[in-house]
Amino acid sequence: MQVSKRQFLKGVGALLAGASFYGVTRSPQADSTQAAEATPEIKYAMVHDENACIGCNACIDACREVNHVPDGVSRVKIERSGPFGEYPEQSYRFSRVSCQHCEAAPCVRVCPTGAAYIDKATGIVAVNSDRCVGCQYCIAACPYQVRYIHPETRTADKCDFCQKSRLAKGLEPACVEACPTKALTFGNLKDPESDLVKLLKAKPSYRAKVDLGTRPKLFHIQTIDGEIML
Amino acid sequence: MSAFHFEGLVWHWPIAIYLFLAGLSAGAVFFAIMLKHFKLAHEAWHSPFVQAAAIIAPVAVFGGLGILVFDLTRPLDFWKILVFYNTTSVMSMGVLVLMAYQLVLFAWIACVFQRRITQLLGKRLPIVQRLLNWLVKQEAAITGILVILAISLGAYTGFLLSALIGFPLLNNPVLPLLFLISGLSSGAAATLLGGVLLRGNPNGVEVRFIHGIEIPLILVEIGLLFTFFAGLILSGGQSQVAALNALGFGFWGWIFWAGVIGIGLTLPLAFNLWMKVSADRKFAYVAVTASFSLIGVFLLRNFILYTGQMTGT
Ligand code: SF4
Ligand code: SF4
Ligand code: SF4
Repeated sequence: MQVSKRQFLKGVGALLAGASFYGVTRSPQADSTQAAEATPEIKYAMVHDENACIGCNACIDACREVNHVPDGVSRVKIERSGPFGEYPEQSYRFSRVSCQHCEAAPCVRVCPTGAAYIDKATGIVAVNSDRCVGCQYCIAACPYQVRYIHPETRTADKCDFCQKSRLAKGLEPACVEACPTKALTFGNLKDPESDLVKLLKAKPSYRAKVDLGTRPKLFHIQTIDGEIML
Repeated sequence: MSAFHFEGLVWHWPIAIYLFLAGLSAGAVFFAIMLKHFKLAHEAWHSPFVQAAAIIAPVAVFGGLGILVFDLTRPLDFWKILVFYNTTSVMSMGVLVLMAYQLVLFAWIACVFQRRITQLLGKRLPIVQRLLNWLVKQEAAITGILVILAISLGAYTGFLLSALIGFPLLNNPVLPLLFLISGLSSGAAATLLGGVLLRGNPNGVEVRFIHGIEIPLILVEIGLLFTFFAGLILSGGQSQVAALNALGFGFWGWIFWAGVIGIGLTLPLAFNLWMKVSADRKFAYVAVTASFSLIGVFLLRNFILYTGQMTGT
């Protein structure tokens, strides 16, 4: 018995050695769910003012063109509810559905390869498509159902606040620029002088499914138009 | 809403088969180890039941992994899961467990069948002989680690789904335990079925041993299923919606009541209890009971996977 116990301990020792070796090889991007030590200067967020939105879908079209999003999938959707009231006084409510750039992102937590990651410098949740194997775990894990498999690259894709297309050139996201009623505001949460922070301080806003602990960074300003719904 | 295609469905039946096979492999190994440890000792290698488990366990885990890889949108990039790791990802940790499990599984099989392999080899390949002898000396450690890995693998199949926080039916602490227990019982069933197909004695000591464990296992499984759904219903909100939707009169309701509860649990339990009294076990009896258990567990995996994704928060 003594012998077998020692052998067992030896085996456990080997397991531990393996585990520490693994610590070296694991992906550097993967630990991004833990808070960054140095607090970065930038934390991007977006506000959708549902009072201003008219449901024209200009944001969807602009995003499709700028970010080369193929037909059949979309990085952003505008969900319509209603109509409320009697014709001709009818009204609708519109709400934006797109990546919420969660601070505690479930998609990042579950991704086996670290392909889904949070850019620590900007707080943007993005996909490194070179690493993505298409297991779709992130798609199932995202409570907002905004991720999809890009039909051409066959990797996971979603809104990245135009990180690679427009932000790289110092421009505002395509959807923000395209909106005819200025319903979308994009900016830096850490900058008290930004339009985004000023808007959030001026009007009450809500975020979707905060009870899941995802700490989303897509804010909505609720419309008071229409009916009271239970 | 159709049963196999609906809004929000991400993971399809290949994942259910993968979860089924991984659990089955872990269960078969678990029972083979128990058989050797408590009943057969050094005679284990010529028991058809241990032989069956030694074939089923690796084949099931390879098959499961094959299905998983095939189901990726980029199957050729599979190696990236092996190279890059993410400690917070259940899938990543599970793949690590799977790799270790396969390695230790083959070491254990080599230990158990050492004499047979040595006979076959005769004087050839002395290196293999030396490796075998060395492995046999480590058998206690190998067995211990394999038990831990098999249980981890069985539980992992549940944790993989319970990490999906957007679905109340999946994001449930009872799920890993339920999948572990049902995985073990599917392993027992596969071992029995394989054993009698390999002309094992349906009235032998192995069958009696496994059947003896099966009854408590089935009772625990029924208890867990009850806790699982009672807990969901008592939570209210979307959890309750999800549970009632799953158990209701639709396609999946039938699968659950007739397939999982009826064929998978009640009939094997009834057969088992009845068999306690009358002594002689026949081939058909063992094979049919085992097949029913297997069908039940397979349906349970599909039922949970599909109904789980039907209702989001
Ligand atoms: S909304 Fe979904 S895709 Fe976007 S960060 Fe959150 S979990 Fe990830
Ligand atoms: S689909 Fe790609 S990004 Fe999503 S979890 Fe799998 S590897 Fe990560
Ligand atoms: S921020 Fe960019 S990627 Fe996101 S929805 Fe707008 S245009 Fe598309």
